Amino acid sequence: HCVLWTKEERYSNIHEYQLEHPTRVIEWTGEKNVCVAGYNLSKNEILELLLPLKLFADDNQGLCAERDFKVVHGGFTDGSIHCLKHIPGTRCVVTNDGSSSKLQVWDVGGDDCDVIKKTGDIHLKTASLDKGVKIDSPLTGNASVLHGSQVNDIQLTELTSGTPLYTLGTDIPDVLSSLRFVSGSVFLACSVNGDVYVGDTRSPSYLQKSPAGGREGNHWCMGVRADSSLPEPSSCSVARLSSSCQAVVSDLRNLKSPVCQAQLNVQRKTTSDEFLIVTWAPALDNCLAVSGFDGMVQIYNTASWRPELMEFQPIFIHRGHMMSDAHFDTSSSVVTTHVWHPSRPWTVLSAAGDGSVHVWDWVDNTTASC
Amino acid sequence: MPEIKVTPLGAGQDVGRSCILVSIGGKNIMLDCGMHMGYNDDRRFPDFSYITQQGRLTEFLDCVIISHFHLDHCGALPYMSEMVGYDGPIYMTHPTKAICPILLEDFRKITVDKKGETNFFTSQMIKDCMKKVIPLNLHQTVQVDDELEIKAYYAGHVLGAAMVQIKVGSESVVYTGDYNMTPDRHLGAAWIDKCRPDILISESTYATTIRDSKRCRERDFLKKVHETVERGGKVLIPVFALGRAQELCILLETFWERMNMKAPIYFSTGLTEKANHYYKLFITWTNQKIRKTFVQRNMFEFKHIKAFDRSYIDNPGPMVVFATPGMLHAGLSLQIFRKWAGNEKNMIIMPGYCVQGTIGHKILNGQKKLELENRQTVIPEYEPGWSLEVKLQVEYMSFSAHADAKGIMQLIRMAEPRNMLLVHGEAKKMEFLKDKIEQEFSINCFMPANGETSTVATNPSVPVDISLNLLKREMALGGPLPDPKKPRTIWRASLRLVSPEQALKELGLSEHQLRFTCRVQLQDAHSDSDTHIRIYTHLKSVLKGYTIQHLPDGTVMVESIVIKVSSSPEEPNTKVLLLSWSYQDEDLGSFLSTLLKKGLPAALSSM
Repeated sequence: HCVLWTKEERYSNIHEYQLEHPTRVIEWTGEKNVCVAGYNLSKNEILELLLPLKLFADDNQGLCAERDFKVVHGGFTDGSIHCLKHIPGTRCVVTNDGSSSKLQVWDVGGDDCDVIKKTGDIHLKTASLDKGVKIDSPLTGNASVLHGSQVNDIQLTELTSGTPLYTLGTDIPDVLSSLRFVSGSVFLACSVNGDVYVGDTRSPSYLQKSPAGGREGNHWCMGVRADSSLPEPSSCSVARLSSSCQAVVSDLRNLKSPVCQAQLNVQRKTTSDEFLIVTWAPALDNCLAVSGFDGMVQIYNTASWRPELMEFQPIFIHRGHMMSDAHFDTSSSVVTTHVWHPSRPWTVLSAAGDGSVHVWDWVDNTTASC
Repeated sequence: MPEIKVTPLGAGQDVGRSCILVSIGGKNIMLDCGMHMGYNDDRRFPDFSYITQQGRLTEFLDCVIISHFHLDHCGALPYMSEMVGYDGPIYMTHPTKAICPILLEDFRKITVDKKGETNFFTSQMIKDCMKKVIPLNLHQTVQVDDELEIKAYYAGHVLGAAMVQIKVGSESVVYTGDYNMTPDRHLGAAWIDKCRPDILISESTYATTIRDSKRCRERDFLKKVHETVERGGKVLIPVFALGRAQELCILLETFWERMNMKAPIYFSTGLTEKANHYYKLFITWTNQKIRKTFVQRNMFEFKHIKAFDRSYIDNPGPMVVFATPGMLHAGLSLQIFRKWAGNEKNMIIMPGYCVQGTIGHKILNGQKKLELENRQTVIPEYEPGWSLEVKLQVEYMSFSAHADAKGIMQLIRMAEPRNMLLVHGEAKKMEFLKDKIEQEFSINCFMPANGETSTVATNPSVPVDISLNLLKREMALGGPLPDPKKPRTIWRASLRLVSPEQALKELGLSEHQLRFTCRVQLQDAHSDSDTHIRIYTHLKSVLKGYTIQHLPDGTVMVESIVIKVSSSPEEPNTKVLLLSWSYQDEDLGSFLSTLLKKGLPAALSSM
């Protein structure tokens, strides 16, 4: 029964929760709050959860601090939620259902009411009507949202008026897998075939392309780590992950020549690529997390990676989603998403298709520390 | 419209105690009678003035039901029954009846002996109160009186906890008390059948929580014990002899085995006696739900856990000790605590809530220095001038199993209530939950504030037998036929629906017919027969939709009302209209007489 316990202490904290319905989004709306939402075809719930207070309590304080999630706000959606983004500095989130070109705008709510209300829709002119839209929001500036389903329909829209502020002028029809701001105006777009584009919302004509360069894999996604305290990103690590379990790390200043790469030690349990995700730990160096291949979240240290393709082992594996309460059950869930805490170095949240959501502080037991 | 009224007693937003009043079918029931542990004055008792301003409660309450032995559900019971006054029946399950008085007595001792309170119940009052208790078995319907019946369901949570169904006629309410929907080592999950109560009453605090898994809680406990023992420290776990202590023992035993731990684990002998006693009660009450391993093993046949002796307190090196009482207010656990508190390598793990005034409560609040107050010299363990520095690590681990948001939805699915009622929540902070319940189940969700009454309209079905003749007459009238699938006679009901003739016959009454007549005088130069025609034409234009006939003998009939015209030969222009109608047509008859008194319109053409 004691599956979490081994001779070596792997977690300094771990919490496991069961939502009524699985989520494929976890989005920070505050230092202690996250939003999750269902992805059933019809009606779903969108919830804002307060993380367990015990996680934030120091060892000798908060003696009775709780271990449970609190549902602080909740609302209902008419469709699925595939993408959910918080607009910094506001209580607003923007969602998309993954199969249409409409964005929903929500007010998560304050202290006086616990209902998350939809405040409007933004109808987009996208090239493809059924691909679903990727969303991101600039790190600074007025409330606006960058969105696109393909490279040629990337646009920045002002939230309150719905006015387009910037349109990427290009006719490249490649489908997008990731969209990320690295500053108030510079953003990266990764297409499904692995090409990365750099754009600047101040200059519509600027577009720099860095192809994936014939690497294997039919589906790529991207994770970006930038020092968001700087107005212009002088350095920014870009990781690309392929469906054939390859990871490529580049630097923003020279995207064409990758810094290093690795063949990850993953046995794919699912044929779908829709949950593939790669992220950098915001408060650790050279720390990469991947998930979406199976029921695990794997953490790698890229400091030891080489420019030549070689196989590497993860420094930590979170297997919690593979196990149901009483016994090992390797058949079931795929991890749908994971996120790092913005400031707590080792805190990760992960969700899986069986409705589980885990909050864990992993312990780095390797000699080469992150 | 029949209705059920529910009022959670208490003031403001405080959620510390449960005491709910229900009025159903003319009966008044009190659900739980808890003490608020956060107050030292009268606010800790429920406000019974809601029931009556003064005097005893006996005539106002048909029964009191206690869901389980936690003090926030039963702590005010002796106060209510012996100091305010109630002599009616008090219902609770067998284990609750066995355990309640012990907890109440402990609680009383702490409050009176330690804190010197005076307005509090005595030991004799606890005994007198318990004499009024009628124990309940699971799933057994108990007739409180001719009309009120109650039934207990398994709630999980703690030993003896029950959810209760209260029924009067076809109206019913289910109160959940505290429950949980996931089984643990020694308690099963709550269960109820599709009893479809008019109202399901539950705590709102569950609904906004998503609980951490039991596995993670246990891991935390084991981790803390392990860390302390590894550094050579001692772990004290104060327990109240039940359920939870056994569960923690099983957990430690397995862990010690797997990790090949050498440090000794002890439990105090006082614990064994109490535990064995309740273990027997435990078995008979929940034998369907207990896991095989727990039933088969002799409870204290552990490889790594041994009986404790007081002389071991000073033994060097790491150890783990389970000792009573649970709140550190007296006895062995306090004695051990005093010896170990000064060493920061040691740890105390409090597995539950501690009453204010106890040392357990003080250290959980972070107090680092404890002093003996004068009052406390009555307890032999204390010496005057006793003071203690608390350097050991203080941890709190709640193993109490409660339902959560998901659990509440599961319970609603099981019971299928017509309405939901949540107590102890702020309505404006529960709108999402209300919407969720209303959307998923299409039922209303009520959220009364403390002291506020929610009134839920019910639609009780009243079963009646109907005679075949009447049924046939109904069918002859046309309209939708009764559903052939619905039974025509449900069971031998006390009410029958009969035709009027049948009723008169059975009651030995004869039917009388009542007929009204009225004379209306008109000045009209036409002949009698012409006047008939004019009346006929006039009424036809005014009374559209009614059956109006002009009979061969001249009579005009409106429905069953007869209008005849006559005149005397001496005054041919004075027409007398004779109207005649039966009681059933009173309205129409009066209308016609008023209408005809106004005379006939001149511009009617004779036909």
